[in-house]
Amino acid sequence: MAAVAVHQFAQCITCHAWSPDHSMVAFCPNNNEVHIYKLVNDKWEKVHVLQKHDQIVSGIDWSGKSNRIVSVSHDRNSYVWNREGPEWVPTLVILRLNRAALCVRWSPKENKFAVGSGAKTVCVCYYEQENNWWVSKVIRKKHDSSVTSVAWHPNNILLATTSTDGKCRVFSTFIKGVDTRESKTGSSSDPKFGEQIVQLDLSSSWAFGVKWSPSGNTLAYVGHNSMIYFVDDIGPSPLAQNVAFRNLPLRDVLFVSEKMVIGVGFDCNPMVFAADKSGLWSFIRFLGERKESLSGPKSGSQFSEAFGKLYAQAKHGLSNDTVEPSKIQGAVHDNCINCIALLNKKGSQTKRFSTSGMDGKVVIWDLGNQQDLKEYL
Amino acid sequence: MAEAKKSMGFDNVEDILTKIENKSLKIESLIKQYKFIEAIKTALEGYPPQDERCKHLQSANWIGVHKALMAIKDVEGMLRSLDPQYYDILMKYAYRGLSSGNRTTCDQCLKIHEKLTEKAGFGCILRSLVDTVNTV
Repeated sequence: MAAVAVHQFAQCITCHAWSPDHSMVAFCPNNNEVHIYKLVNDKWEKVHVLQKHDQIVSGIDWSGKSNRIVSVSHDRNSYVWNREGPEWVPTLVILRLNRAALCVRWSPKENKFAVGSGAKTVCVCYYEQENNWWVSKVIRKKHDSSVTSVAWHPNNILLATTSTDGKCRVFSTFIKGVDTRESKTGSSSDPKFGEQIVQLDLSSSWAFGVKWSPSGNTLAYVGHNSMIYFVDDIGPSPLAQNVAFRNLPLRDVLFVSEKMVIGVGFDCNPMVFAADKSGLWSFIRFLGERKESLSGPKSGSQFSEAFGKLYAQAKHGLSNDTVEPSKIQGAVHDNCINCIALLNKKGSQTKRFSTSGMDGKVVIWDLGNQQDLKEYL
Repeated sequence: MAEAKKSMGFDNVEDILTKIENKSLKIESLIKQYKFIEAIKTALEGYPPQDERCKHLQSANWIGVHKALMAIKDVEGMLRSLDPQYYDILMKYAYRGLSSGNRTTCDQCLKIHEKLTEKAGFGCILRSLVDTVNTV
């Protein structure tokens, strides 16, 4: 079994993030608070409640080295929380948004963070030492609709965004005084802030969940049309692969290695995608246990009852008594998974990640004992 | 500039209509020869023009495809021999058939929808609903 731990924290979780040593988890239980739980003697205890936002907290990120939490909310604000003694002290970051903030990510060097919003903008915030506060610079022009997800390239300058206009864009977020210009590394010779490097128009539907591979060579994002897109060679002529799969759409993805991506979404079960030796991506299998779908209306999916009634209308007299209950058999999550986070222990070879969803559960998965996936790790 | 574009559009309409009619005739002849699977493959090849002004071309195209769909007796067998790349297009035509309201068309399209969902999954339905760029 790939799922090693399942914890029911709340009725519904919007997003979650782990502390640097993975002993604590911060999440939003679908309200305006951020709850932090700590694992004490094999039991989870609520240690902090961060209450500053007025509306639902839509994004949380916990920086690995500097131990700071950034939270963004539908109330158009964001707070950076610093640990001072036993308390978490919030610092308001003025984003100047007139719509909800939807997602947030610390940059790899943790000196900046990016916020995607419903105002069709991305705010990139950095810390100004002289004034002791966070300044926000806004990328205003390019998006046609809400920015659903943001992801930082390992070089701390390139930022990928996905939007409900179906497009994935890569911008430069070079800020003078914060970033140092790499001398002639070749990849980004246009370091101007807010400059769009490339726009990928591969999906005709909403795009979600963009992530870079660990080396930054590959970009992956999902569309609401049950497709996942893998893009190499980000630049004037990118190489894109569209992978269509037969299940419900995904909401978020995670690179566990250069060659393997885990996608999570409405099927409540993580999906494994991997690239073979020639670089061709394809769907491998589901990670959790899944009942084999039988033919006809007896399939083990949650829609079997509805479809059974639909098809029965044409076949007069087909009895629906044999239709199985609509609960998914064997899946770990009961509802849509909307957040996935990497959980690698430093120096350890095993690949672990966690998922949280609308069922209020946080599930920890371990790929260590999945023999057939070892070749991709 | 807009005027030139319009006139160009009109010239092409004749060609496209001819292509669609030829396709229809080909489908009919294949059906008469009991080559249902080839008929379906011919029908599913290519999308009609997406232009707002050429809705009648989409309807003309649908008439030919409809003939091919109605001629299928063994839906499962047909799907077994159909290339997976045609699943999404077939699903779109199935929905078009279901929206017609005609009893026999709906019965047949419902059968196709059921078997196709088994084979291609919910992703196929999603893609047919979400794709506003390539419509039938």
